[in-house]
Amino acid sequence: MTEGASAFAATAGGSLLALPILVPAAGVLLSFLLGGRQAERIALALMPVQFGFAVAIASLIWRSGQPLVYVLGGYAPPLGIALRADGFSAVMLVTTSLIMPAAGLYARTNFATPNDGTERRAPLVFWTLLQAIQAALSLIFLGGDLFNLYVALELLTFAAAPLVCLDGRPETLAAALRYLMFALFGALFYLLGVALLYGAYGTLDIVLLSRQIRAEPAVWLAAGLMTAGLLAKTALFPLHLWLPPAHANAPAAASAVLSGLVVKGSFFLIVRLWFNVLPALPNAVPGAILAALGSAAILAGSALALRQERLKLLIAYSTVAQIGYLFLMFPLASGPWSAEAFSGGVMQALSHAFAKAAMFLSAGLIAESLGHDRIAGLGGAGRAMPVTFLALGLGGLSLMGLPPSGGFAAKWLLMKASIEAGQWVWAVVMLAGGLLAGGYLYRVLAPALSGNRPRLKSPPRRSRENVALALALAAVLLAFAPPTFFAFLQIGRPAAGAALR
Amino acid sequence: MSSATLAGLVGAALVGLGLYGVIADPQPLRKILAFNLIGSGVFLVFGIVARKGAAAGLSADPVPQAMVITGIVVAFAASALAVALTLRLFEETGRATLRPDAGTKPPDDGADAE
Amino acid sequence: MSALAAAAQEFGPGLLVAALAAPLVVLAVVLSPKLRFAALAMSPLAPLPALAAAILAIGGAPFEGELPGLRMSFRLDLPGAILLAAAALVWIAASVFARADWTGRPNAERFAVSWLLTMAGSLGVFVAADLLTFYLVYALVSVPAYYLIADDEDAGSSRAGGVYLAFTLIGEAVLLIAFVMLAAGEPGGSLDIRAVVDALPASPWRDAALALLILGFGMKIALAPLNGWMPLAYAAAPIPAAAVLSGAAVKAGVIGLIRFLPLGAALPGWGEALAWAGFVSAFYGVAIGLTQRDPKTILAYSSISQMGVIAAVLGLGLAGADQNAASDAAFYAANHVLVKAALFLSVGVAAALTGRGRSPALIVAAALALSLGGLPLTGGALAKLAVKGTLGDGVAGAVAAASAAATTALMLHFFIRLARSDNDGKAASPQRILSWLALAFASMLVPWLMFPAVGGDLADALATATLWDAIWPMLIGAALAAGLWALGEPLPRIPAGDIVVAQEAAFRASAPPLGAAFERLDWRLRQWPAAGLSLLTIALALAAAGFASR
Repeated sequence: MTEGASAFAATAGGSLLALPILVPAAGVLLSFLLGGRQAERIALALMPVQFGFAVAIASLIWRSGQPLVYVLGGYAPPLGIALRADGFSAVMLVTTSLIMPAAGLYARTNFATPNDGTERRAPLVFWTLLQAIQAALSLIFLGGDLFNLYVALELLTFAAAPLVCLDGRPETLAAALRYLMFALFGALFYLLGVALLYGAYGTLDIVLLSRQIRAEPAVWLAAGLMTAGLLAKTALFPLHLWLPPAHANAPAAASAVLSGLVVKGSFFLIVRLWFNVLPALPNAVPGAILAALGSAAILAGSALALRQERLKLLIAYSTVAQIGYLFLMFPLASGPWSAEAFSGGVMQALSHAFAKAAMFLSAGLIAESLGHDRIAGLGGAGRAMPVTFLALGLGGLSLMGLPPSGGFAAKWLLMKASIEAGQWVWAVVMLAGGLLAGGYLYRVLAPALSGNRPRLKSPPRRSRENVALALALAAVLLAFAPPTFFAFLQIGRPAAGAALR
Repeated sequence: MSSATLAGLVGAALVGLGLYGVIADPQPLRKILAFNLIGSGVFLVFGIVARKGAAAGLSADPVPQAMVITGIVVAFAASALAVALTLRLFEETGRATLRPDAGTKPPDDGADAE
Repeated sequence: MSALAAAAQEFGPGLLVAALAAPLVVLAVVLSPKLRFAALAMSPLAPLPALAAAILAIGGAPFEGELPGLRMSFRLDLPGAILLAAAALVWIAASVFARADWTGRPNAERFAVSWLLTMAGSLGVFVAADLLTFYLVYALVSVPAYYLIADDEDAGSSRAGGVYLAFTLIGEAVLLIAFVMLAAGEPGGSLDIRAVVDALPASPWRDAALALLILGFGMKIALAPLNGWMPLAYAAAPIPAAAVLSGAAVKAGVIGLIRFLPLGAALPGWGEALAWAGFVSAFYGVAIGLTQRDPKTILAYSSISQMGVIAAVLGLGLAGADQNAASDAAFYAANHVLVKAALFLSVGVAAALTGRGRSPALIVAAALALSLGGLPLTGGALAKLAVKGTLGDGVAGAVAAASAAATTALMLHFFIRLARSDNDGKAASPQRILSWLALAFASMLVPWLMFPAVGGDLADALATATLWDAIWPMLIGAALAAGLWALGEPLPRIPAGDIVVAQEAAFRASAPPLGAAFERLDWRLRQWPAAGLSLLTIALALAAAGFASR
């Protein structure tokens, strides 16, 4: 630990950290204040600004090689609250600020503000919630205080759950309610853990905690409660009850954000907890439990995706499976391979975010153009809308882990770490998951490019197809991430940061 | 029995009751109530924590109280949102239960169909 | 020679990149509807950079190239160059042959995209120098070919495509973990294929990696009992696609074995195991092939057999630390590239020809077919000569001679079936006939040009003893074929794909119940009480695990 006092002193440019939280939050307020007709414009105008902040933060971290710190109001922890951004935070911020505008551009057709000036509920809610999700995610990625993160987590749920039921159909309402209830249930577990940690150490600042933390019963109980609560929000198998109906029934743009980004928010906090708060403790067995659940998720989620009859449900179950991969990094967190495992886990989070967003947007286009999303009825659809299916296929490439794709890079790193650690079982699970993914994509893509073109209700708009394609290409381009990118991810990762660059 | 122990026991009992309600009861409204029960239990734990925080040198640690207040606000917002969704669901379908699985098909129990 | 060597150093690196890039550039143009047909007309030119690179490497010296931005590196050594030259020629000829198919086909666009992607991969595998590049081009040569096989969209093609894809993806998965083990076994962290293979004999994962490499590449070259996909796929694919798949694409597995087996380190156990697997496959392919009626299926079984011989050669090379086995096996495989592709085109040409044109065409086809058996003066004879050193005169040599006899019998069976095959009613375009003749000619000539490069002596190839050595197994094979024919083809009819029928049945019997079981499990776990209890259990389990690991 070399941070020393610098952990509590704001670094140069640290005040930048408040902006990615404040700007979308201000957007939410403005949208309410100025009314529905302005919400869309405000949201779309602020998204490039947000991207600029994310890139600025990333480049500051890259130049200094140190995490950025900002102490709110000048009150240092434990009394005050710090915002911190390390390499992982920065890439998640940038990813969010790329996927959000993509979803926004795509959604303009569905949630356009009527030209005649009337205010409609759905567009206002959609554009406001989209910004709220962005604010909550920024707070999650930057927050340095566990209670503060609890609030961010709840904000994220409050913004995400209503997105599911925007169109008001009964099944979407039920799905949203299930999502909300289970997420709230999980959040209480997290909060109880936070209380226990505060009781033991009198602080909730991540850096302060990580210095004092000892292997004692209260800490383990807190870790178990917090992790389980976060798992409920991440929908790790067998806690996935809410995810398939919610993600499959939400409007496509919302599904893309929910599947691509929102589940990564709670995952991010699990990583924070185990890599930043508890890295000093022996974590082999808890890590193995997490990875075992992840493996079950990969196998069950993929097998269930194979059995679905609707495209969006298939993609939602594929999310259940892909979330599983994220947890294979935990048993590999200590040892000389830990940097590889960490990079692999982060790469999986990024590539899945782009690939899954692309796939949900494509599926939305397919459903709109065909009037349904039954897999049995997709024959020939790929010929009628080739760009859409190209985006779907490229996203699928990443899910299968075939090169060139970010999914391949993630699998390669995770497999290498698990082989080097002698834990080959995770590698075998990843192989099986890739094969099953190949199977469910084959079910979709093989008939789609064969047979007669179906009659389209309306051809997809080229600009919306391009949005999906751009996201899929981003997932592919991640395969070519240079070594410096992986070095960047290690900035601010405690303990093992020195072991491998 | 000191008041701290009592508060702790009450908190634990509330959490336990709430857990049972959340897990076992299919009615969303009762789940929301149970959820608030757990919340109250957790806030009680925070209260004890505030006393224990005195070990850090303060006569009474104000931070947990701030957290409890924030937590109550969050729990209130959560309850309001959940109740609104439940009402909406009731309006649309005439019933409000979380039991049926909207949007997914139940599997054939027993032998495989294919 | 030195001029070529200088040119190799000068232009080689650029040509390597161009070899991979050219098909992709054509592909990019194909995607534009306006330029599509102009671009497709250019597709026979796409393999030219690869051919030029191969000529420079064979005539001059090996060279390397890289694309640092994409972290791809390329190297063309002698075994790679021999195979690359043959593969490029096949792709050129087959692209000309397929040109008539580009227009008017319902699936022209899909076929063109798969064709060009497969071409890029097929040429790329011979020049890839690091693990990741190799894996990428290997996936390119394997996965898009699905649409070449499933092109017809009838039940047979769909089944063949599905089976092919299943084998391909399992093979990819097996190789991925093998490559990860190779990378993990290299202490310096290098991904260069030479470095990781040099480090393999001392690696803690040596045996696992070798087993997975042999399994993965064995699936690609259809070693029995992993051979079922090949007859289905080649029979289902259109003629030019079958030609490039059987000729060029399958050699991705051969170059894989050549590159990744540590041929310099004597590993008798693994080597002999591979050799036996190869020999078993060599005879198994012939035995099943003799029961088949469809000429394309028979050719597929001949491929299974020939790939078995190559695996055996490499296995013996591995057992005996024989470094020359690499280029010898490559030469043998290169001959197979040319001959097998020309044979598949023969099937198409013969089906299109009637009357007077048919007999000369059949004579050419007969010469090609017997080349595989080792007919003197053909490339096949040179190929047998090239691997003679590795096989030796002992048991392996005798088995190889028996395999030549068996191959002759199979190829005569093929010829009879081809001669009896029906006209398919399509007219033979001059374009098709010329490209086929050119490839047939190349398959006779090119091995003679390349033979000296692998250390072969042309005078030796024409010596009487050598000729006799080649002829007597063929006579035995001819007698066998004649006997079978005279008995009215008494062999039982075995369905094409033989063992794959059982593999498919096992899959159909196990997969749906397993899926249904997962569905029921999912249904139970997604009930509220179950999920709530799961949450509680996970929290307590994690906490308990923490206590336990104190």
